[in-house]
Amino acid sequence: MATMEPGLHERLIGALGTQGVLTSPEDLSAYAFDAFVEGELPAAVVLPADARQVSAVVRIARDCGHPVVSRGAGTGLCGGAVAGRGGIVISFARMNRLLALDSRNRRARVQPGLVNLELSRLVAGDGLFFGPDPSSQKTSTLGGNAATNAGGPHAFAYGSMSAHVLGLEFVDAAGDVFGVSLDDCGYDLTGALVGSEGTLGIITALEVRLLRAPAAVRVCVAAFGDVEAASEAVSAIVAAGLLPTALEVMDRTIVRAVEAHFAAGFPLDAGAVLLAEIAGDAGDVADWENTLAAIAREHGALSWRSAASPRERDALWASRKGAAGALGRIAPNYYIQDATVPRTKLPRAIRRVEEIAREFGLLVGNVFHAGDGNLHPLLLFDRRASGQLEAVAQAGHAILAACIELGGTISGEHGIGSEKRETLPLVFSDDDLATMARLRDAFDVTRSFNPDKIFPSGAVCGEVRAAQAAIPAGAWL
Amino acid sequence: MALTHAQTDCAAYALGERVPGNVYAPANAAELTEILRRCDDAGEAAVLFGGHSLQAFGNAPQRFDAAIDLRGLDRILEHEPRNLTISLEAGVTVAKLDAALLAHGQFIPLDAPHPSRATVGGTLASGWLGPRRATYGRSRDFVIGATAALADGTLAKSGGMVVKNVTGYDLAKLYIGSLGTLAAIVSANFKTLPLPAARRVALAALPEGTRARAAANLAGLTREPAAALMVRGFAEIDGRPGAEGRLLVLLEGSRRTVDLSTRELRSALGSAGVPETRLLDREAGATFANALDAYVALVGERSATFRSGGSLDDVAQRAALLADAAAASEFEIETIEDLCTGDVVARISAPSTLQFRERLGEFEARRRAVCGGARVLAAPQRLRALLEGFSDVPPSLATMRALKGRFDPRSTLSPGRFVGGI
Repeated sequence: MATMEPGLHERLIGALGTQGVLTSPEDLSAYAFDAFVEGELPAAVVLPADARQVSAVVRIARDCGHPVVSRGAGTGLCGGAVAGRGGIVISFARMNRLLALDSRNRRARVQPGLVNLELSRLVAGDGLFFGPDPSSQKTSTLGGNAATNAGGPHAFAYGSMSAHVLGLEFVDAAGDVFGVSLDDCGYDLTGALVGSEGTLGIITALEVRLLRAPAAVRVCVAAFGDVEAASEAVSAIVAAGLLPTALEVMDRTIVRAVEAHFAAGFPLDAGAVLLAEIAGDAGDVADWENTLAAIAREHGALSWRSAASPRERDALWASRKGAAGALGRIAPNYYIQDATVPRTKLPRAIRRVEEIAREFGLLVGNVFHAGDGNLHPLLLFDRRASGQLEAVAQAGHAILAACIELGGTISGEHGIGSEKRETLPLVFSDDDLATMARLRDAFDVTRSFNPDKIFPSGAVCGEVRAAQAAIPAGAWL
Repeated sequence: MALTHAQTDCAAYALGERVPGNVYAPANAAELTEILRRCDDAGEAAVLFGGHSLQAFGNAPQRFDAAIDLRGLDRILEHEPRNLTISLEAGVTVAKLDAALLAHGQFIPLDAPHPSRATVGGTLASGWLGPRRATYGRSRDFVIGATAALADGTLAKSGGMVVKNVTGYDLAKLYIGSLGTLAAIVSANFKTLPLPAARRVALAALPEGTRARAAANLAGLTREPAAALMVRGFAEIDGRPGAEGRLLVLLEGSRRTVDLSTRELRSALGSAGVPETRLLDREAGATFANALDAYVALVGERSATFRSGGSLDDVAQRAALLADAAAASEFEIETIEDLCTGDVVARISAPSTLQFRERLGEFEARRRAVCGGARVLAAPQRLRALLEGFSDVPPSLATMRALKGRFDPRSTLSPGRFVGGI
């Protein structure tokens, strides 16, 4: 495909210079997949240096009839940043700076390619940090985080990206650059763009809210006999009106993999482990830990301890956030699901996940943002074993259906992308989807931004194709 | 289907110079969609009403045939206290919501003025911004799902009853702050917060020359207040005007934190030359509610209130500029400087309605020159034509127009009410 379009490449190189355009198949292939889905080879990958270059790319793409897919670090899990049918992929690898820091007003202006954790590092000296912390935060970018309304463990206390993006600069389908802000009058276009998975506009800068670092932070680990007991404890903690800053649960499968990899000190004999973080005034933190520990014990906690040092605290978090990667020790392949249920339904949802895994003869590892009711079951398998891939696809779909039945939904923080678009009609009616399409058309009637994402393939004109239980053809398992 | 249709009280729904010909009061979503569809088909411009408390927002509508009063949609649909979520219809009053949550030790920091009148739907549609948002977040951050009725009768939901969700577009963000120009919010789902164990209001009169130091010392507190307002005038808040004004600080948290904060606050104010800090515990809620009411309270028909949002760096400066503009027009001015959010709220008034009307135009010219982005919070309906609902135009107005075109192609919902005449 690359060699077939010299006109396109010449125009892109004319606008961005040779260092800003990748066209060789070897280079392009690196952008054809994310952490889960393998898509098509794009016609070109561009690495713009600023919004003007993004605008030029959008105009060239429009002239040449190419779709545009924007991409951060490619850590997504549902194909959102992968070209579904060729087109131009915009990488923000070169737009990765902190543009301005306003400590007094606790705001920062950043380029979309700035890595999530890097922002917190850059503002730490001012006693500030950035709230959302997806497990991919060491590599994932703020632009990508905004596109998927990412959350992470601390979304429990601080909310997902939409509560932290105060304004955006974006390039629209005509190639024009606009600024939108919560401070402006008019419709909340910032809110519309966050979580829209690159289908409404290309984000070229973000104005984000920063938080003041708490005076004291404590990370505690409790062991439980099984995941259900841990989930019951989490439900009770939430119901009691306590607000820890994070409540995470890992089951035995995950804990063992994580310990083998990181040796952070999680109890190996536990059926499940609760990782709770408490932050605030030093005195409050001590009180809250006592209350939390008491509730945990009432719900069957076998042990409770808190990290003795900041180093141990960081080690516990690093292993939690590295959980998925550690699973390579157990099975050659895994499929991570993302679904949310009302928090009180967590124990039932976990029971259902385990039943479904048993039904399909699969090993499942559960690691999840328990405080938010956000499940991440990891189905472990070997794709070389016959029938396992199909079983995983069916089990994954059954888990989503079970979560919907419990009043939940099919994505808490990863997005719909291409992976779940055919499942969307299980959650929303034709009228709901048609109304969402009105929003899309107001921004981009040509639907050239990230086509084949979010909306089910048959959704045009209100026709919604029946949901299918399928993993995308190119799933990267 | 029985559509309530009371001609008699149309005057109660007048906006600006316009009085609607019909008032509809649907009792449920089905009746509402039917009314909207009929208005849309008949080319009747419809304005949505809740508790009337924030109807000064935006421009006066260009056309206004029908008022749709949503207070009949007043059911709490689902409240799962253990889940910290609640779903309710748009016409539920904020007071009813607060009471339902309070019974389970929870709250949502909507900070709506006149909560016994204000509806949840109206508070969201107005885009109301409360003083506690720097601490807890904006109303929009608590909405986890919504169902809305479009002008053509389509009923569409988005989001859900879970606290983390990226399943389809978050349409609720569009309706919040849209002044009812895109769709009617039928119901909204919220996440809630546990109530802080303790709450205290600290009031301090500020002697001459202490304001700047007091503000600077407050900014350096290690424990941040939930709200901090520097008030001049607005005697209705606490009955003590004080020429140099006073400080109203809301402290929320555990008992220990509130006590520690109190000590820290007293010391910060003491070193700024503020001699005395009065503490209100039992009356804290009522005093804070008084302050919220004051944001939209008028002094008869001879006053109007504006909000200027902006940086914390120039709060005092914006308040001073507005005071100069008021003085030049021989208006009295009362101000609230919000030391947590950067808002400046200014209520201007004249001795008589006639004088107010006469000088409002020149004051508006001066205000626009010094504080362009300020927006009207409260104004007598009869003076609406003299006030600009929006004095600034956002750069992305074309996209906003396109949105209006997609959601309400016949401009049935409050035509002209929104920015740029949308």
